[in-house]
Amino acid sequence: MSAGVEDRLRGALGAENVKTAPEDLSVYSFDAYSEGKLPTAVVIPCDTRQVSAIVKIAREFEEPIIARGAGTGLCGGAVSVEGGGIIVSFARMHRLLELDAANRRAHVQPGLVNLQLSTHVAGAKLFYAPDPASQRSSTIGGNIATNAGGPHCLSYGTTVNHVLGLEIVDERGDVFTTDVDDAGYDVTAALVGSEGTLGIVTSAWVRLLRLPEATRVWLAAFSDIESASETVSAIIGAGILPTALEMMDSVIVSAVEQAFHAGYPTDAAAVLLIENAGFEDEMDGCEAAMQTIATQHGALSWRSARTQAERDALLAGRKGAVGAIGRIAPNYYTQDVTVPRSALPKALRAVEAAARENDLVVGNVFHAGDGNLHPLLVYDKRDRRQVGAVLATGDAILRAAIDLGGTISGEHGIGYEKRDAMTRVYGTEDLAAMARVRDVFDPQRTRNPEKIFPSGTRCIELSVPA
Amino acid sequence: MTPQTAERAAPKSVEELCALLARCDREGTRVAVCGGETLRGMGFPPTGNELLVQTAALKGIVAYGPADLTVAVRGGTTLKTLASRLKRERQFLPLDAPKPGHATVGGTLAAGWLGPRRHRYGRPRDLLIGSTIVLADGTVARAGGMVVKNVAGYDMSRFYVGSFGTLGVLVQANFKTLPMPGAARAFLAPLPEGTRTRALAQLRALAVEPSVALWIDGFEKEISGDAGAEGRVFVLLEHTEALLERATRDLRSALGRAGVPETQIVDARARDMFDAILDAYVSTVADRSITYRIATMPDRLESCAIEARDVVRRFALDAGVIADVMNGDVIVRASRSDTRDLSLKLQVLDDALHQVEPRARVIAGDHPVRPALRVWGADPPAIERMRALKSAFDPHATLNPGRFISGI
Ligand SMILES: Cc1cc2nc3c(=O)[nH]c(=O)nc-3n(C[C@H](O)[C@H](O)[C@H](O)COP(=O)(O)OP(=O)(O)OC[C@H]3O[C@@H](n4cnc5c(N)ncnc54)[C@H](O)[C@@H]3O)c2cc1C
Repeated sequence: MSAGVEDRLRGALGAENVKTAPEDLSVYSFDAYSEGKLPTAVVIPCDTRQVSAIVKIAREFEEPIIARGAGTGLCGGAVSVEGGGIIVSFARMHRLLELDAANRRAHVQPGLVNLQLSTHVAGAKLFYAPDPASQRSSTIGGNIATNAGGPHCLSYGTTVNHVLGLEIVDERGDVFTTDVDDAGYDVTAALVGSEGTLGIVTSAWVRLLRLPEATRVWLAAFSDIESASETVSAIIGAGILPTALEMMDSVIVSAVEQAFHAGYPTDAAAVLLIENAGFEDEMDGCEAAMQTIATQHGALSWRSARTQAERDALLAGRKGAVGAIGRIAPNYYTQDVTVPRSALPKALRAVEAAARENDLVVGNVFHAGDGNLHPLLVYDKRDRRQVGAVLATGDAILRAAIDLGGTISGEHGIGYEKRDAMTRVYGTEDLAAMARVRDVFDPQRTRNPEKIFPSGTRCIELSVPA
Repeated sequence: MTPQTAERAAPKSVEELCALLARCDREGTRVAVCGGETLRGMGFPPTGNELLVQTAALKGIVAYGPADLTVAVRGGTTLKTLASRLKRERQFLPLDAPKPGHATVGGTLAAGWLGPRRHRYGRPRDLLIGSTIVLADGTVARAGGMVVKNVAGYDMSRFYVGSFGTLGVLVQANFKTLPMPGAARAFLAPLPEGTRTRALAQLRALAVEPSVALWIDGFEKEISGDAGAEGRVFVLLEHTEALLERATRDLRSALGRAGVPETQIVDARARDMFDAILDAYVSTVADRSITYRIATMPDRLESCAIEARDVVRRFALDAGVIADVMNGDVIVRASRSDTRDLSLKLQVLDDALHQVEPRARVIAGDHPVRPALRVWGADPPAIERMRALKSAFDPHATLNPGRFISGI
């Protein structure tokens, strides 16, 4: 690398905040999906001014910029690119800048960990609704860049519904702000979910909600995954929208039980975990209606968590499910697709068939109420056959979701992983419209290049990292 | 007053619209897009030299899966048509725009209309899951789809909302629908000045949040019920039957504590009353009124509403105010029966109101002075990017030229 850029970055941030040693860089070269090349440098700014300085230096040296939160992303979004690049870590920009309890909003830095935001504002009886299962480690900046979802998004909506305004460092290193109440184009809407390709988020105003008065959690067990998914479709179809409606199959349930003893029935083929937050007055009615539907669809059992501890255990099991798989399998791959909610039973059959065809074990743990599937394919990456089988199965699942009227990512994003699949859901004109937005914010294609857009279209050619 | 546009066209299909726009874009014919013309008081009026392209013929429901709670509808469909179809399945879409019998889905989205129930059910853009737009050059771009969670690429559909027909013509919108609340009940009560501050604070603090809570001052003609010389409070509760009883009790005791006298309960006609209020947002007094929407914060709502009202009165104009407690925006209408000096007064008023709050935009009023007002409020910080976005999507400024913010 050129010594110039390194020195300039050190001058701007202090030597301790610029990493260039290979052993330091390697820590930042992967996310929860893939491993990239070693970046040119990793920088750890402490404020917006420093981010702006970094961008200006990078521009001078024609280095791409890759913003990075906690690196929990599941599509290669935060990993370095072919051309190296400067990774901007927000590990030092993790503060709650302001809590405006009267207006139920907060101003936060991008490196703030999702769960910590809710912890910080709990004293004001408020919380931040988007709750990705990675919320103990993923950051608000990463959540904004991926428009993260989570179990509670069924009733509260995804991250974009909770972002009120952004502070952005643009491709020239200039700072501008957006506000959803500003006149003009909804720039906030374009930026949320843009995976760091349109600008760097250096702070955000987010909406907070009041902590619910009452929360109930129920668990329904089923003898087959089919009846469980039909129950989900029927609950939604009946116009009942609980706060969360999550499904887990037996592979997941047994992994969770081994890891956490959450209290899930291990003899069931599938369980539904249902949470409703609101008011005591309506809980019994809500429970009765859902229990009736579950019973009609052949539920083996219906359990209501009695105590706070029991509720917490059931929910913690769900949040830890993916990690629990990590304990029983050498490697796993998480697919992420969304289908219309009435198509859930069909989609799950297709997942099952694809895995069987490729001789793989699949576990399902997902946001059933939103029709957002997460088949977890268990494999051993040292076995070339299994790696090939995972790719084939993942692809078959994508195809099935598209055939059912669904899409290729519900919440994890496109990143490197699915950029070539974009043409399977969008036509040339559809992608061109996105490119028009990109032309405005990143004309040189230096913000997280190689991500989201198919490798054929105006982006540098590159094969997806293994 | 909207100038009489020379020519009109009402394409009957998306293909026809594409061909028309492509030709206009090529030949340099400027286009003004219009839906039901219910929000014609927004933005700068067309100059009169544009071809007026109406979307009314591009109507109808494309796909509706009640069990999926999703619906795809063509841009020219009226809100009423859509609402009646959804109602049969006990579902709804809280777009909450005025004059639903005429307002189109495309127009409501393009105008970025914001209704009073958004704090509870989300903004229209947050209910939008997919879209089809015809761009200035006649190409068709789709975004999103028919699923409720989708992060494949940029969220173009949300981005188009509020773009005022300057990026393209929305010909299809896909929404997630919501199950209808089990029961609705409206409340109307006089709000004497001495009780106002406490009453508004009590409303905002209610544990069981109302869907709508408004302080209304003026608008006696448009909104029936006991006028109350100093204003009224309107509350709409929408809940399950089980919760409605508690919500009613809580509301009455909260208002009672604040000293609000007798509250009138409206059960059967709660929706009608709400619709009348939505119409009032854009109701005009002949061509002698201008109505602004001021975006503020809930904790500044009352002071902002009072300041805005007093500014209007200072110019010897009649003031009507609707202050939205839950979302923190203020609707203020300035009108006068006698037209002498009215243009001048409205211009000075425009300055004064923007001093109260820079984010004040015109949402209704046909007065000829409108083009001279800051109808979109102060330019936002991202204005340069917005100009660049306009050039990227509509390089020849074919669509709605000059009608949007800062001459876009
Ligand atoms: C066990 C597990 C469970 C998960 N569960 C969920 C879930 O329920 N729902 C869900 O949506 N996701 C889930 N994820 C995926 C992941 O956690 C989310 O995508 C999360 O939003 C990423 O946040 P992060 O801070 O780790 O970002 P990173 O992985 O570091 O980055 C993600 C993307 O954001 C960009 N970025 C980061 N910070 C900024 C910034 N300040 N400005 C601009 N761009 C930025 C990066 O460039 C990258 O493209 C899960 C992941 C794991 C490992």
